[in-house]
Parts: sequence; structure tokens; C-alpha cells
Amino acid sequence: MNKLKFYFFHLMPYGFVPRSSEFDSSWVTLSNEHYDPTRGHQLYNEYIDLLVAAEKYGYDGAIVNEHHANAYGTMPSPNLIAAMVVTRTERMPVGIVGNAIPLHGNPVRVAEEIAMLDVISGGRIISGFVRGIGCEYFNNPVSPTDSVERFWEANELILKAWTEPGPFTWQGKHYYIPNVNVWPRPIQKPHPPVWLPGMGSLETLRECARNRYTYMMIFAPTWMCKWAFDKLREEAEICGYELPRDQCMAAIPTYVAETDKQAHREAKAHMQWLFNTGLKIKSSHYFPPGYLSDRSFRGYWSAVREKGAKAPKDLTYDDLINQGYIIVGSPQTVAEGYAEYCDELGAGGVLCAGSPSGPMPNWMAVKNMQLFAEEVIPLFRAADGKPEYLREEQKIGATNAERAAQLGDPNNPPTAELQGMDEVADLRTIHLPEMIDASLYDGVTAALMEKD
Amino acid sequence: MSVPRPRNYYTQPEFIDVNGLSTACRRKGRGEPVLFLHGAGSTRMWLPMYERFSQSVDFIAPEHPGFGETPRPDWLRDFNDLVIHYDQLLAALDIERFHLVGWSLGGWTAAEFASYYPRRLKSLTLIVPIGLRLVDNPGVDFFKLLPEELVDLLFNDKAVLETVAPDPDDFDEICQAHYEASTFAKLVWSPRYNLALEHRLQRLECSTLVVKAEDDRLVPNEMADRFAEVIPGAKTVTIPETGHALCIERPHETADAIVNFITTLPGAGLDVK
Repeated sequence: MNKLKFYFFHLMPYGFVPRSSEFDSSWVTLSNEHYDPTRGHQLYNEYIDLLVAAEKYGYDGAIVNEHHANAYGTMPSPNLIAAMVVTRTERMPVGIVGNAIPLHGNPVRVAEEIAMLDVISGGRIISGFVRGIGCEYFNNPVSPTDSVERFWEANELILKAWTEPGPFTWQGKHYYIPNVNVWPRPIQKPHPPVWLPGMGSLETLRECARNRYTYMMIFAPTWMCKWAFDKLREEAEICGYELPRDQCMAAIPTYVAETDKQAHREAKAHMQWLFNTGLKIKSSHYFPPGYLSDRSFRGYWSAVREKGAKAPKDLTYDDLINQGYIIVGSPQTVAEGYAEYCDELGAGGVLCAGSPSGPMPNWMAVKNMQLFAEEVIPLFRAADGKPEYLREEQKIGATNAERAAQLGDPNNPPTAELQGMDEVADLRTIHLPEMIDASLYDGVTAALMEKD
Repeated sequence: MSVPRPRNYYTQPEFIDVNGLSTACRRKGRGEPVLFLHGAGSTRMWLPMYERFSQSVDFIAPEHPGFGETPRPDWLRDFNDLVIHYDQLLAALDIERFHLVGWSLGGWTAAEFASYYPRRLKSLTLIVPIGLRLVDNPGVDFFKLLPEELVDLLFNDKAVLETVAPDPDDFDEICQAHYEASTFAKLVWSPRYNLALEHRLQRLECSTLVVKAEDDRLVPNEMADRFAEVIPGAKTVTIPETGHALCIERPHETADAIVNFITTLPGAGLDVK
């Protein structure tokens, strides 16, 4: 069996909303009157604890994402959550998949925040970029008709900000930044890995192949995932390289229990919440005009009409299981499901592995997470069960002593140029009595210094 | 992909080269030149209201860039581009002074044009226009609506709707609607008004008529009032038993009210039968 990486993904749903037949969309128009901050306090903290725990359970990484104005995922600022996870973990990669870059006024802000996280975490950040789903354009002043262009321009700007010395001027169609000069620079070279989510758009697949970005297939039937990965391999060949498995990722909600029967008993209602309530989206919210190009609109809807594809809200539990949107069962059943992804589809990793689906109780999320880590993950690892990242050399020393040994003397020690002193003062030693010339002091401080 | 033809009222347009953009245009009638700017839809048709107009005036109905059979050019970014486009279209038609009429989105476009070229207009007519800010009533967000919800709010007279509504299963029409809505979103997504118009429209010199629906359920009725308030000396007229789609619901009454306004202006070249 091939190896597979497993990423723990928390969508941070908020389940305390009216029954779904009472509203037409969990996004855009479902009023935030239904959000109770006291419940939110408990949920956020439980959710963050699980993301942190993913390291001790042995997952390959913890994943967060950005969504606005909905009950499906209450994480409008994923970088905030990533910051908390980063400071409570040691070695595990943390993925933000991703920041909705066309929605933000200045993409440099995203470049700065990801660079900060990369530096603070010691180079553990995976940086996803997303367009944001169509719904999110209702919460922003950005026209959905500019979404694709802004996405690619912001992507280019951020990559340049990370990899080329500043300052430089950005003169784009959608962004003009007189002075791009991102402090800090990220640790990872040439830059933190970039992941892009997709639902089969040819343009995204091509750009992933061209830039060697990781492609994430979002909640899709197995046939569509296979089609996308095959296409990605083809596009990589055109670019002159063989596609590494790690460039193919799939997001597959998974639930494991002691037996198949018990797994279905526990998971069914939560999986259905995820698709039928959390992703209950009015089509006019999902696809505001121009979010899809005219060509993509035609392609998408003609495929939907031909295949009779259902919207997530209309998928039955049988649809979800039979078409491979989700995997539910005993450890053996789940392992067989994943074997198909790595052996037949060529996936290198999966998101949502052992992760909560819908607003399930915390105990159930923990049970799934632990069983998955202990009963499924080792089957897709080397004999010692270690995640790959523990075999890789750390990007910077883990201790002060190691880093001091690596760094040696700085080219630019911190200094100050003091009035009346010819030599530059080294800020690391200037406080020592033998370094200070008393004549440098005047006025009040001179009198004070002479007292001794 | 060719542009689909509506079931009723389709006529072959002539195509005018406007600085490289092949612009679909329908024109009929003699007398005072009237440039009509359509709303965000009901394209590709020679509607009964157009026919009624053409019995009294020289009625010119082009299709906006990115609507009907006029392609959407890369340079289209905002209303300034539309204003320049219509200046060039009029140059191509060799028309200097004319009457300008705009419906809904076309009303906003007409108001923008008038604010740049106030002295070229013999008169201005805004039919349930959009484009000003109503602080206390932002109105319905039409982009949030499903197609069936949108037409419900557009038409108060459902029988008339049947004559112009495309077959809901016609996939080419669904794609065409998305194409035109994308152009609309490009122009108006954010913000849904131009605050500068409040100031700029005060310099209008021509006679102005604001045509209101009796009960506009899509755009607040206060919007037309607000235009009449901002434009010096503007008059209003209300077409009974209509909604936002008044040009289709009451084509003769709407055309007659505007023709009457145009042909009775002081100094107008009268062409009354």
C-alpha cells in the first residue's frame, strides 16, 4: 500500500441554528441573531484544542480555512486560529487553506501575516490561497466579476513579496502598492508551500501544474477527483515533470468507529448536517453573476445537467457513501476507502481525515480522531508510524544553543549611534561600565551618574 | 456560441461599428431623435413600447456592451466607459442633440451621460432609474434572488410576463442571462449608487421627466422621487397598475407619456399625427 498523509481539518461549524427547512440558505442571509457567543466561546476553545491535539495523535498537519457569514464554518480569520495553534505545537505543519485573497483590500497584508506565522512557527506554515466561495462576495465590496483576475494578481504579488528583495512598486490592474517591502520574510525557501483548492476548473489545474502548487479537491465524488488528478498529471507532463503524489490532495470527510454499523449509527446525522444544512446554499448565493466566467458557467451547468448532479443540500446519505464524497466505517473499511485514493487515484494526502463532520459533540470528535490515529494512520506509514515531518530536518534549530551555533556572529549587530561618541555603540554591551564614557552624559543624567 | 433568440419580439438588429465594438442597434420612426437605453435584461427584442414610440419619433434602441448581441469588451470597467461608448455611438450616427430615455440600469447610464454632456440633451427621461443612495432603504439586493424570485418582483402583471419570459429550460437562455447579469454586476456590484450624481445632476439644463411605477416591488419607489428631487425642475409621472417592468406591462401608456413630454417641450420640433 502506498503512503498517505492525513491532515486534521476543523471547519468550525456552528450547529445551534433553526431546523434547515426554516431557512433557504446557511450562508449570506441566515441571521447572526442565531449565534450565541457563550456557546461560541466553548466551541472555539474545544475546536482549537482538537487542532492542537492533532500533533500528539500523530496527524501530518492541522488545517484551517476562511469563510464568512455562515453557520458551516465560523472562521472568518483563519490566520488568528493558526496563530494560536502554532504557539501550542512544536513540529507539526499548520495549513491555512486558505486566505481568500481576492476579497482582501491589500494582498500584502496576507503576505505579512503568513510570513509572521512562518517565522513564529519555525517554518511550519502551508499557505493556501482561495477565491472564497460565491457567497462571500455578498459580504465584501469586491465584485464577483473581478474575482478570478484579482486572485491571480494577488497570488503573483504575494509570491513576489516573499521571494524578491523589497522595496518594489506593484503596478497591477487591480492593486497598486507604491512600496511593497514585507517584514518579516518567511523562513521557508523559496516560500511557504502553496495549496489551491479546486472543484475541477481547468484553469486552476493548469496553474497548479505550472507553479507546482498542491491541488486540493474539495468535497467531490470519486470520479471527479480521479478526473482532476489525471488532468493534473497530464498538465505536469506538459510542463516537463512527473507529478509528485504530494501535489494531489482530497478533502474527504471521514468517520471511523469500532464496526461499520456503529460508525454509520454515529456519523450519519452529522454527515448529513454537513452537506444538507451546512452547505444548504441558495444557488443565487453560490454563484453570483461573474463568479464563474461565461465559459466556466456553461461548462459547469452543462456537466451538472448531463450527470444529473445534485447540489450538496440534496445529496442523500447513500449518495454521499456510494459516490465517495465521504468515508464511514470500521478501521478496515476506512482503510480500504483510502487505499483507493492513494493506489488508484494517486493522492498523496487527504484532508478531513479523522476530523469532525458537522457540529458533532466534542466526545464524538475525540473518539473519531483517536481511533483514526491509532487504527488507520499507521497502515499508511512506515513501520515506526512516524509522520514524515519528524524525519525531515528542522528548518531552524529548536533551541537557543542550536540557533546560536548555526548563526555565528551577525553581519549587522544591533547598534546605536550616540551623540558625542565617535565609535558606534554595540547594544549588546554598551551598558557595561567599561564601555561608557561618562562625558557622554549631560544635564540630569550627568549629575546622576557622578553620584557614585 | 451564438446568442440565442427570444421566443417573441425578436428582430434582426443592425450592427454599428462603434470604435471597433460591433454594437447591436434597432431603429425605426421619423421625427425627434430619441436614444433609448435599456435595463439589465429584456434584450434582443423590438418590444411593443418601442413600436409605439416609433410611430411618433425616431426611436433608437442600441444594446449596451455586454448585453444582447453587443459583445462585452475588455475595456468595460464602469459607467464612464458606457458614457464614452454612447458619445461615440452618437458620433457614428451623426447625431449631436437628442432626447435621452433610460430605463432602470439604462436610467443610471442616462443620468451619468447627462452629467457629462448636459447641453447635448433636448430632454432627459428616467424610467424607474437606479443609481442614487437611499440612506434609509437600500432596497432588495437583486443579486441574491433566484431567477423566479426576480421576475416575481419585476412584474406585477404576470400575464404580460409570459410574453417575454424565456423558456426556463432553455440552457442557452440561462447562459445568456448569466452573461448579461455578469456585465450588470461588473457595473453596479459595489457600490450600488454613485454619490457624485447627487452633485453632478444639479447642473442639468434640459427638461427632465421621471417616470414612476405605481408599485415598484424591486427598486424602492423613493428612488424615482430622489432623482426628481436632485434634478432641477424635474417632473414626475406615474404609470398606473405597473411595477418595475412598466415598459413591458403598459407599453402604450409608458410610451405615450414620454412622447407627450418630448413633443410638447417649448421649442420642440413637433411631429404629431
